Amino acid sequence: MLSTVRGRRRAPLAAAAAAAALVLASACSGSSDTVVPGAPAAAGKKADTSAIDRLIADEKPASASLMPAGSTAAKIKEAGTLVVGGTQTAALFSQLDPTTGKVEGFDAALSRLLAKYIIGKPDTKLVNVTAATREALLKNHSVDAVIATYTITDERAKAVNFAGPYYVDGLGIQLREDQKGIASLDDLKGRTVTTQSGSTAAAVVEERVPSAKIQLFDTNTECLQALRQGRADAYVLDQGVLAGNAGTHPDVKVVAGTYGEQPYGIGLPLDRPDFKTFVNDWLRKIEADGTWATLWKNTIGTQVPGPVPTPPAIG
Amino acid sequence: MHVLTSHPGVFAHGLLVTLHLSAATFLLAAAVGLLLAVCRICPVRPLRLFAALYVSAVRGVPLLVLLTLFVFGLPEIGVVYSLFWTVVTAMGLYWAAFLCETVRAGVRSVPPGQTEAARALGLTFGQVLRCVVVPQALRATVQPLASLLIAVVLNSSLAAAVGVTQELTGQTVLLDQRYAQPLFTFAAAAACYVLLTLAIGRTAAVLERRLAVLR
Repeated sequence: MLSTVRGRRRAPLAAAAAAAALVLASACSGSSDTVVPGAPAAAGKKADTSAIDRLIADEKPASASLMPAGSTAAKIKEAGTLVVGGTQTAALFSQLDPTTGKVEGFDAALSRLLAKYIIGKPDTKLVNVTAATREALLKNHSVDAVIATYTITDERAKAVNFAGPYYVDGLGIQLREDQKGIASLDDLKGRTVTTQSGSTAAAVVEERVPSAKIQLFDTNTECLQALRQGRADAYVLDQGVLAGNAGTHPDVKVVAGTYGEQPYGIGLPLDRPDFKTFVNDWLRKIEADGTWATLWKNTIGTQVPGPVPTPPAIG
Repeated sequence: MHVLTSHPGVFAHGLLVTLHLSAATFLLAAAVGLLLAVCRICPVRPLRLFAALYVSAVRGVPLLVLLTLFVFGLPEIGVVYSLFWTVVTAMGLYWAAFLCETVRAGVRSVPPGQTEAARALGLTFGQVLRCVVVPQALRATVQPLASLLIAVVLNSSLAAAVGVTQELTGQTVLLDQRYAQPLFTFAAAAACYVLLTLAIGRTAAVLERRLAVLR
């Protein structure tokens, strides 16, 4: 046992080990990467991107009187791009289309419209955020605005300004296609429920169904995977996002009915009150001139049934 | 502050799960790591090669990457079992690589002359191990093993990133989400971890003194 020959050169071995590590690492990044090349295209109706492009082309830039020198909007116009915190994985709201390389959806179109309104060109830079990082990125001004199915809550309103609400959703329940016996939140008693860390859903589930075992993941992709792989019995999140998942993955479904109101706001830095007024005025404008309704019809409306809802009252 | 006083059970339960997770991980790592260490110093060349390859490959992968590979990768090929034990498997296999090297270093710290002398005195292979090599090797590895156990406990918090929300860090994240008081909640979690590692450090010091031989 102690008679080993030591000190032999093992260069080829080290190289092989490095190669193995690389293979392991790359295999892994493939499974958890947020951008999924070759992901299945949305089943059924596809979002009409040309209608949205037309909307953006028609959006008139704000008059100079609305953006006095020194205001946040004027500074963004000077910079030439609107830096938006968002995601590439929320179907219907903000999802990367691998065939075009563009991020499409309700939130993504809103950010382009806002950029057009401020700068005159729909130039946005997307910074990926998670539910846990949004406040921090706004606080240190890494992003100008966060448009990412961002539910307005009292706690969050202490850390950031919210313009809007621009959309109201409710919590929904997502199941695998073959699952039975879960029709409402009460049916989740004692079951494993997955949701995004930092989302409002975890707190709601904890309060309404204390016996449910909560499994937190950082992204929608990971939660969806946990559900599809059978690690979780249900996935609770805003129904719009879940409907988007069901559109891209035929093996999951959404239970009818929503719980509570999730008003989405545009997150803005707390120390820029002028920008909140500016964005609120703009939201009122696009809701009044029909832009909002057209946008809804071509994004969320492709998966969520029913007529175009009335946009929520701003402020 | 009331966040902490009104939820002592959350921290207690989280701490318990963290302990459970760390203990299971360390036991698995010890079993696999010892086996690997034996392979690395045995005279059979293929076994030596295998263990060396294992250590260099596994040690070169970040733990979070390995965890994600196990939690989200394995189900792709049809291997699904409880999340907790999936995480224990990944962590155990990871720390085994480190444990193997620690044990090997301990064995190497016993001068070969002693083994030769013991054999010359007529001790059997088992006696050489039991009376000469293992006691001395164990003494040399008490502190490195304690450091390893500390690393296992602290890094068990990575389990929260792959859905084991019941452990201490995961529970703290949940609590923070509800009350948005990161300063108090995470400071309390940090205190729990410090207490755990202090306890491990003290135990190691006592053990080392017990095992010490006055020369």
